[in-house]
Amino acid sequence: MSVMRGAEKKEGEPKKEREIIKAAKGVMYGMALHGMVTYALRLRMHMENLFMLITMGDMLGVPVLPPYYSLRLLPYAVPYLKTWKQTLLRDRDITDSLY
Amino acid sequence: MTTAVSATQNMGLYLASNPGVKYILFGGKGGLGKTTLSAATSYWLAKQGKKVCVFSTDPQASLTDIFERKIFGQGEVEIAKNLYALEIDADKRIAEYQNEIRQKIRDMYKMETIPEEVEDYINSSSAEPAMAESATFDAMVELMTSGRYDYYVFDMMPHGHAIRFLGMADILDQWVAKIMEVRKKAGEYKESASVLGSQKGGLAQEDYVLKELEFIRDRLDFVSNMVRDKTHTAFFYVLIPELMPILDTRKALEMFRAFDVTVSGVVVNQVYPQELRDSGGVPDFLKHKIDSQQEYLGQIKGEFADLIRGVVPMLDREPKGLEMIGRVAGILFGDSGVFLR
Repeated sequence: MSVMRGAEKKEGEPKKEREIIKAAKGVMYGMALHGMVTYALRLRMHMENLFMLITMGDMLGVPVLPPYYSLRLLPYAVPYLKTWKQTLLRDRDITDSLY
Repeated sequence: MTTAVSATQNMGLYLASNPGVKYILFGGKGGLGKTTLSAATSYWLAKQGKKVCVFSTDPQASLTDIFERKIFGQGEVEIAKNLYALEIDADKRIAEYQNEIRQKIRDMYKMETIPEEVEDYINSSSAEPAMAESATFDAMVELMTSGRYDYYVFDMMPHGHAIRFLGMADILDQWVAKIMEVRKKAGEYKESASVLGSQKGGLAQEDYVLKELEFIRDRLDFVSNMVRDKTHTAFFYVLIPELMPILDTRKALEMFRAFDVTVSGVVVNQVYPQELRDSGGVPDFLKHKIDSQQEYLGQIKGEFADLIRGVVPMLDREPKGLEMIGRVAGILFGDSGVFLR
């Protein structure tokens, strides 16, 4: 049993070290990169919304151009349609900025 | 006084001196004989041993009536040796296209039924007026890129639509370029996020979307380049000796110039023979009509002299059936001179 406990202790040390390194990495990421990543993702989301609007605008009553070619792109847009509509049609007022 | 007026360079000579021409387009106001002249040109080329396809982009297509064969919605129909005709059923093509999209969605997401909002969008798209034009446009590109024929003769829709049709390629081209820009930027941001934050990338999907956009852009570019390419394309404008068609032709030449499209020539159709006026027993009504036409012919001669490629008289019978089409072809590609007072 004591041998077993010793082994666990030995194995536990590198695990702890790993956790410390991971936590340090997390802190570094949070301090240096998280903002940039979030910003890049937000920009991508805006680009994605813009892309959806200029291709599938008809769905929201914004007829941009003939849908013949939009239909070619429709299969790729199917998974994002719901989120996109919610994002675009969400009402925004002053209380939104409080939360 | 009579003055001999003939085509400065008739259709046959024009095609002979422009051997690179592969696409021949006939435009003009509705009801002036674009379909007849397209059919006659195709007939003549086929008789010269060239494999030709005549395609009507006019929603009120009448190749079926002219060739007295069922062509509408039948694909490429063989009319005679080397001569094929195509009249697309835009509604049928749109329905087939919509079904392809539905099937693609089912296959991509292993769906039994299409989500309601997607189905609604697909269904409502067929109600868009530009859908028929786009479907015709697509069919036209498909035919031209097939490379199956020596010559492609297009009976274009009436002037206003033709301009819009050509303009549509440019507008859509710019639209696709913008979308590609947006798409590429979105991809870059996603990639940056992946590199910085070890997020899972979605680039495979981006690639598919970009490939689709490139496919659309290539098709649009093909048409934009084709209509402007003087080496491979000849654009003929059809008019009759009346005021409105003359004004329309004048306007069209300006508009096509704005699109950087060069009109290769004009063909004057439905001209009453001058000798008819001088023969006995001609009612005043017809005499006045002939006089009026002569006056306008003078105007056409003055305004479009170098562009006149043919003068086709009003025939004693409706130009229907291969025999009559052959007769028109003989006039158009043979001696097309008429006499002016």
